[in-house]
This record gives sequence, structure tokens and C-alpha cells, in this order.
Amino acid sequence: MKPMSTRPAIMEFANRPILFVSAFAAYTLALLLGVLSPYLVETAALTPFYTNAPISEILGSPCGLLLYVASGCQRCMVYPWLGASLFTALLIAMAFVLRWAFRVSDAWFGLCWIPSFALLVNYTQLGYLIYTVKHPAIAFAEPLGLLIAFCLIGLWYRLNDWRWKVAFMLLVPTVGFWLFGFFGLVVLPFLGFCELAIARFLLSNQPTGKKSWPQFLWGLSLFLAGFLLPVILRAVLQLQIDIEMGHVSFTNDQRDMRNPWFIAYLFPTAFACFRFVGKKFWMTIVAAVVFVALAIAAYTYSFRDPNFLNTLKMKHAAEAGKWEQVLQLANENQKEPTRAQVCLTRLALFKTGRMGDELFTYPEGSAAYNAPQQNQWLRLMIGPLLYYHYGKLGFAYRWAMEDLVEYGERPAYLRYLLNVACLNGEEALAHRYERALTRTLFNDDVQKEVEKEVNAIRPLLNFNDQLDGDNGLVEFYLLNSFSLSQGGSREMVELSLMNSLITKNLTGFWHRFMALLPTWQGRIPTHYQEAALMVAQLQGASPVPDLPVDPTIQQRFQRLIDASARRGDNAANAIALRPEFGNTYWYYYFFVEGLKTN
Amino acid sequence: MKESKSISKSYRKPLPSLTGRDKGVGLLLLLLSLIACSPSLPEQFEEVTWRASITPDNFGATLPPNIAPLNFRILRGDADEAVTCIHSEKGGEIIVGGWNVSFDEDDWHRLLDLTRGDSLYVDIYMKAYGHWEHLPTLSYFIANEPIDSYITYRHIRPSYVTYEELTLHERCLESFDERVIYENMRFKDSNQGQCINCHLPRNWNREAQSQFHVRQAFGGTVFIHGDQVTKINLKTDSTLSAGVYPAWHPTQNLIAYSVNETGQVFHTLDPQKIEVIDYASDLILYNLDENTVQHIDHTALEFESFPTWSPDGNTLYYISAHYTCRADDIDADLDTNYDQLHYNIYARDFDQQTHRFGPRRLVFDAEAIGKSASTPRVSPDGKYILFTLADYGQFHIWHKSADLVIISLNPEGFSSDCFTLESLNSPESESYHSWSSNGRWILFSSRRDDGNYTRLYISYFDSDGHVHKPFRLPQQSSDTDDLLLRSYNAAEFLVQPLQPTQRQLRRAIKTDARPATYTGSALLHFETDSASFLPVNPAVDRRRESVGY
Repeated sequence: MKPMSTRPAIMEFANRPILFVSAFAAYTLALLLGVLSPYLVETAALTPFYTNAPISEILGSPCGLLLYVASGCQRCMVYPWLGASLFTALLIAMAFVLRWAFRVSDAWFGLCWIPSFALLVNYTQLGYLIYTVKHPAIAFAEPLGLLIAFCLIGLWYRLNDWRWKVAFMLLVPTVGFWLFGFFGLVVLPFLGFCELAIARFLLSNQPTGKKSWPQFLWGLSLFLAGFLLPVILRAVLQLQIDIEMGHVSFTNDQRDMRNPWFIAYLFPTAFACFRFVGKKFWMTIVAAVVFVALAIAAYTYSFRDPNFLNTLKMKHAAEAGKWEQVLQLANENQKEPTRAQVCLTRLALFKTGRMGDELFTYPEGSAAYNAPQQNQWLRLMIGPLLYYHYGKLGFAYRWAMEDLVEYGERPAYLRYLLNVACLNGEEALAHRYERALTRTLFNDDVQKEVEKEVNAIRPLLNFNDQLDGDNGLVEFYLLNSFSLSQGGSREMVELSLMNSLITKNLTGFWHRFMALLPTWQGRIPTHYQEAALMVAQLQGASPVPDLPVDPTIQQRFQRLIDASARRGDNAANAIALRPEFGNTYWYYYFFVEGLKTN
Repeated sequence: MKESKSISKSYRKPLPSLTGRDKGVGLLLLLLSLIACSPSLPEQFEEVTWRASITPDNFGATLPPNIAPLNFRILRGDADEAVTCIHSEKGGEIIVGGWNVSFDEDDWHRLLDLTRGDSLYVDIYMKAYGHWEHLPTLSYFIANEPIDSYITYRHIRPSYVTYEELTLHERCLESFDERVIYENMRFKDSNQGQCINCHLPRNWNREAQSQFHVRQAFGGTVFIHGDQVTKINLKTDSTLSAGVYPAWHPTQNLIAYSVNETGQVFHTLDPQKIEVIDYASDLILYNLDENTVQHIDHTALEFESFPTWSPDGNTLYYISAHYTCRADDIDADLDTNYDQLHYNIYARDFDQQTHRFGPRRLVFDAEAIGKSASTPRVSPDGKYILFTLADYGQFHIWHKSADLVIISLNPEGFSSDCFTLESLNSPESESYHSWSSNGRWILFSSRRDDGNYTRLYISYFDSDGHVHKPFRLPQQSSDTDDLLLRSYNAAEFLVQPLQPTQRQLRRAIKTDARPATYTGSALLHFETDSASFLPVNPAVDRRRESVGY
């Protein structure tokens, strides 16, 4: 038997595009749905998209059509399976169109996935920056734009009649620019460069049967048309050539995040300059190795920070009113939490009425956000949410509006503007926001959502209005605002008591404690018992003669005093006493130090 | 929702290709189909007394004879069909079918022209459960006096500290044509963000002169004269800030500005949301010919702002509040006592030969009635001052108590009577306003629609000094303003469009601003208090959230 007979069979099998498609689809869907699902949901919430935007608005500016379609697709990420499927299908289509455009052979097909992987990373690498990138369709705009650009490139290579070619040169940078923005603009210079490069290569090698001079001239014409027509367009119509809208990566300051973009754009040049048409077995192997390497690289460079993803899950659960799930997620987190996670946990404990019993049993921490500019992420992620649920309506509205101004009419902001308008009794304003929200895709039941939380928030509005500013320091403001507040509803007094414990400001402890005492109906929550014991100890006496403290808590407190007295050293005590007393207020008061807010 | 069909509109369906003799037949068929499909009034209907919900509801307003069509949307309810007929007793009618009532511009203008000085009637018929009903007839009154053809305004989010896309617009009031004069996102570098504001023409742009401010990147005040654009830096070492609220002198190349140290502080609960407070302010006079800046009012404990000239140019009106010093830290004090600042209207005579101002005199004592005045504007005939009156402060766009008020001036320039313009005001804020060049129309900002997003309204001011019910700035689609999450800001009338293109403006803005020179006081007599003023620290050091004027 000749071994030759098996190799073509393997080759034939390995060269089947379905293998790459299946592998890529499985990989991408696993990454997007298995790991990054909350990121997709958040992406959708940050996508401004109006279903019934007038056509004049859609076509009223360059790239309008592409951005409209892209943001519509991106909004589908509300349902991660739908958004991920669309995104994956788009990246797969891009690989196929690339193969078609440059007539890449089956053996080299593995290389056609380079731009797809690059654009996958381009989206998944953003992490926290998703909040600050000012782009309406960060995930879909580039794949869609590049897909169109590749289609146009493929079309050019299949035009034989010079008249069609001239029409192509005139239409792509004008009509193409208008419809697809930057992606329409890059096609001609790219083709010009490719044609010139090929022509030069052919000229220098004098290949037989090829006339390279016409190609050279076409290349030159493409190049000139690609640059001159936009300039003329700009001069005559005074259009702004908006390069930034063409690529997400350039809208943030992280230069290293631009690499996938460069790869996605530059690699097709190699396809144009060097024909990938062979059918050798080693080509298949090389292409397959590249494919696997790309998959590993894409996974490596995707932003999978556990705290980030956990915060998003907690946030989505909070927005759905699933407070128990928020607490479950807080417990499941293996790493030191960020302040955003701590704040969401505290909010969930307040909502479930378990703040007094469990607040200090949950992990504390102030882990750095895995992103630059530490001070803004808490506000950007959950600022309006926290303010809204704690009844600080002025600031919930303010930050939702500030972010809407800065980053666009994202549903994430509109929902808080609507919620606050409803609670303020601003019916006409609420109707305006409701109308805006229902015009976005998959946001039909907005009113129902508002009604859910209203009754829980109303008791927190029992305070006098004043002029104030938070400088964007949400947690700091909330802590101080509650810990320094006086009076109000039962809920407000409890928040006041707890926040004064958190800030370790014990002035006025007994006043708040006594105000709440009758409401506990005989059973004082654990942390308040702990605090009462401790404050009585520190201040020498308790105003309550028979403080109804559980004997086990009293014994535990005594053990803490004895144990800490034995060692004496505070740092050593912090470590040694943590296993036994780490879930008490005493431990928090004496040993937890240096926590940051925000 | 059904498309509206105006009687004169052609249908949008593509016509079959016709040749030769068939063309005549085709055209006849087309004509017949047009007639057959045109909306017509029902022959049988029942008279009812209920009114349909309509947005915007401008009925009862007095309209200029040259205004663009007042399209509207009828909220459908249970009805299946609607037909609207607009007609005049002097003849002529337009019939429009559907819920989005959109009039053909030519038909509308013909009808308005015919109806000058008379009422225009609107009959709405609605079909529900197979029966047509005729709703009570509504009407407009068409005035004889036309309105200025153009207005300018800024689109801005009702925002707090941040701003992103700001655009200055020019709108033709006779049609729906609108163009962007300048947009601040022309410079894409994020470090080149600009705030653009206070576009103000001189004499309704009759001399093709106007100005607006650019703050932050490429900052300066942009002066437009014909198609010439220059940029000046009005900030000097001796003044609080660059020029803020401008007032062109009607006859000379002079502009009075306020200079303000402004900050924003936020309500924790009050739906008014924001207080924009001046922690210090003065008045300056800028001479365009000499490029010089002089102080007009420079008193530490008086907060002067919003200057405006009398039509003859002999008097400068402005508002001023006396600040009673209660603490060392003005910021902290005003954050608590912001509602204790009450602005009155004052005036100073101006000598047009020497460019000197006389002593100030009280024109309207708002404080005496526990109120605060802002944005005075003198009518073109010099007989009235129109201004906003609220409970406190001067940035009345955020004050729900803000209403438009008019006072008549006696020959000496003092006020005699004060009228609250009931038919103009609403429970929400009415604020920035301007007079048309003929003094018969008032353009003003109002938040009456939802309390937050400012929309433009126009009201007729008749020769007897009465205001009539206003109408909202007409839009091609009623959805335009209902869905827009931006406010209209600082609107002004123009008699002719601005000349420079966006590119000319951008080019001028990119150049360095020419600095103005400070040349001392413009007061005729030295005023003792004007020399003593509190030390002025940079706003960023003192204000937590400062406004970038």
C-alpha cells in the first residue's frame, strides 16, 4: 500500500472549511457565553439604539447606516445567546469573505481567521473601558465594516470592464463613505497599495504572460482616487471625515489595545501581495497551527478579570431585584473584592433586611480595579444604581445624566433617569424617558420594572433637601451622608446606625440604637449587639440598664478581650483572631484598617 | 400609524413607464387616482363635545402670517381614522388625513396669507366603531405682523457639569430648514473639547454682526461681521473672567458683558436639581474698534449680570444682587443661603460721546416683593422691559417659579407697572427670551412640557401691550421635540441668516485669540465701593463644580 493514498484523504478532511467554522464557532460561543456572558449583557445596556429612528437620521451622517445596523445587532446582546450568535456569525462571514476576496485556497483557509480573532479580542479585551469608550457599537461596528470592506475588495478583483472599475473608484469613497464611513474610505487606498505592490513585484520579476503596467496604473489611480475624492468631498460638502468612528480601539487612550486593530487591518495586505493559492499539506498544517495559536492568544488577551465579571453579575442581579443572588455572588467570589462589590453586597444586605446580622460576615476589601484611573469605575458601573436604591435621587439623576451627556443615550442611563423621574412625581418627564426607552430594542416592560422598587425607596426620601456635591466619590458620599444624618424613617435611622459603624464614628450611637430598639421587637440584630457591647465597654457604661444582648455574644466578646490582651500586638492579633472573630463588628472596628472608598 | 396625505401632495408609488399615447392615459389615471385617494371630509358625522389629545396643542395661539406649518399629532385612542380640515372664512382649506397631521408648506402659506387678521379654523373628524364624529372646532388667530425669518439657538443636554456635543443652530421660521452654524465636536481630540455659548446677533443681525463664546480649548469670543470672523480673548488680569452674558450696543461697536465666577451645586432631593450660583460678578464694556475692556460695575458685594441696552443706546439695564456677607467663605455661605440672593433691575445712563456711565438707579425692586429678576430685555420701541422673575437667584432655567414678567418704562426709564404674563407662563420655568425686530413677537424658553427639557415658544405681543397664547416652535414632525433629549437654549431672532460657513468659523477658532487690553473704569464718577473687592482666587480652587463659561 502506498502511503500517498492516505495523505490526500487527510488533506481533504483537514481542508474542509466546516472544520474551521465549527472550531471557531464552538470556541467563540464558549468564550462569549461561558465566560463573558455578563459582559455581553452590559454591552447591550451601554448600546444606544432606537428601533424607529427616522431614515433621515440614519442616513444623515457618514457611517450612519453602518453604525445603526451595528448597534442594532449589539443591542441583541440583551440575550447573550442571540448577541453571541450574531457576533460569531459575523466573524465567520468575515473569514469566508476574506477567502473569497483574495481567492485563498482551502489549504490556507486557516489564515483567513486572523482578522476574526483579532476583532474578537478587539471587543473582549476592553473590560472596564467599555464604560468610557465613546462608540455606539464597540463590538459590531468593526466586524461589519471590515466585512463590507472585504466584499468591496473582492468585488474589485472581479471587475473586468474598465468602466465598472471607474464607477467603483468614484462610488466607493463617496457613497461608500457615506454609508460605511471609515470602512468605505479605506478600501481604495488599500486596493491601490495592493495593486501597486503587486505591480512592482511583477515588474521587477518580469513574469511571463502578465502585463503589470496597467495594474500599476490602476493601483496609482486607486490610490489617488482614494485620497483625492474624500478631500474633494470634504472641501465641497464640508464633511467631516470621522476616522475615529471607524475603529473602536482609537477611541480610548490605551495604545496597546490597538494591536488587534492593526492585525485585523494589516493582515489582508499580505493576502493581496502574496497569493495564498497552494494546496500542499504543509500549508494546511501551518494554517491550522496559526488558527490554534490565534485561539490561545484570543483567550489570553480577553479580559476575564474575576472581580469585573463578578461585579457585573452582581449588578445585573441587583437591577433585577434579585438581592439573594447578589449575596450568593458575593460569597462565591474567591478574590479580594473591589469597593464596587462591597457596596453591592451592603446594598443587598440592606434590601434583604440582613444588614444588622451579616454585614461584617461578608468579605471586605478594596482590591484595585484591573484598569487605569481607579477612581471612576465604581461611579461609572453602579453610581446611579446605589444612589437610586439609597434614595439619593438628586445624585442618581445627576450621574445618569452626566454619563448620558458624555457617552450617549445608553439604556443603562435612561432607566435611572426614568426611575428618578417616576419617584419625583415628574410624570411628563418620566413619559419622555419611557418613550425613549421603549424605542430601544428589548425594553418594553420598563414601567413594570420601576414599580418594583418604588415602595422600597420611598421611606428613604424622608430627608430635607440641601445643596451638595459628591465629586464622584459615591461610597464616600453615601457613608458620610448616612452616618451624619439624623432622624428620618426607620430605614434611614438603621442606615445611619450601620454607616456610622462602618465609618467607626460612634458619636450618636446610643441615640440611633435607642431609636431602633423598639422596632427590633426583642431581637437585636447581631452586629448591633456586638456594637452595643463594645461601645458600652469603650465608654464605660450603657444607657440601657439591661442591654438585651445574647449571652453567647457576651461570652464571645469576653474571649476577644482576653485573647487580644494575651498577645498585645495589634498586627499579630489581626491575623490570629481573624478565624474566630473575623465576622464580627469588633474585628472590623479594631483590625480592619486602610480600606479605600471608591 | 398612517401617513398623512395632504391634498396637494403627490403620491410616492413609482409610476409605470409610459410611452407615447399611453402617457396621456397614464396621467389621466394618475390624476383620477389622486382625486380618488385624497382624504375627504365625511358626509355624515355626529357632533361631539370631547377634545382629542393633540401634541403639540397650539390651538388658540396667535400666529405670524409667515410661520411654518404647525403640524401636529392626534393621539389615536379608540379611533380608526382621522381627517383634519383647516380653513378660513376668507376661503381656502387644506384637508389632511391620518394621525400625523402634516401640511404642505405652500398650501399652508397661501392659507395664512389669505387669513391675515382673521381666525383660522381647525376641524377634526375621527371615525370610531364605524361612525364619524366631529370634534369641537379649534382655531388660531393670524396676526398681520410677520415674524423675523430666522432664529438661532443652541442644542444642549440639560446637563450638569459635563458637556459633549453642543451645536449652534440657525432655523428658518418660514419653513423647517435648519442648519448647524457651528458644532463643538469639530476637533476630535478629546483634549480639544469646547463649550460654545451665548450666540448673540447685533440688532437682529441686520448688519450681519454677531458673536459667541468658545470656552476651554481654543477659547475666546468669536466675532462675526459679514463673512469675516475674528477671535478675541476678553479675559484680562483685572477682570473676573472673560465676557459672559453679552449685550450689543445698538449703534456703536460696543458690547457690554457680565463677567462671572459661576459654580454649580446639586440638590439632593429637589426636582429643580441644580443651582447655578454666581459667587462674584461684574460688568465690563468691550470696545470692538479699540479692542479694549473697561469695568462698568466693579463692586465686591454687588453681583451684577445680564446687561441689556435700551434701543436708543443711552441706557444700560442689568440685574444686580447685594450680597450680605455672613461668613468668610462665600462658597459655603451661598451653598446654604443661595435662596437669599435677590436680584433687582438697575440702569445706568450712557454717554455715547464719551463712553461713560452715570450712577446706577433702581428700575425694578424685585427684592421688595421677595422675588429675584433676571435677563431683562427692552422692547424695540423702548416702552417695556421683559424679564424673568423667580423666587431667588438669576439662573432661572432651573427654577420652577420662574415666570416672564413685563414692566412698562416711563420716559425717565423707571418702571411704573409690573404685569405677570399669565397667558405666557406655566407652572414650570420660563426663562431666556428675546423680542422680534418689530417688537410684536416674543421668543422664549419654557420647560412647560416636562419640567426638564427646554423648548421654544413664540407669543404675539400686540400694540396694546397684551401677550397672546404662545405656540411651540413648529417642527415638521411632532415627534422631533417629543423625542429629542436636548434643550433649546439662548434663542435669538435674526432678520437674515449668518454668512460664515462652519469651516470659516473653525479656521478662525483655531487661531490664537487676540487679547483685549484693560483700560480701567468706564464710570463717569468714581464710586467708592468699586475699588474695594474681595480677593479673587481661581475658580478651580474654590468651586467644587465650576461651570466653564
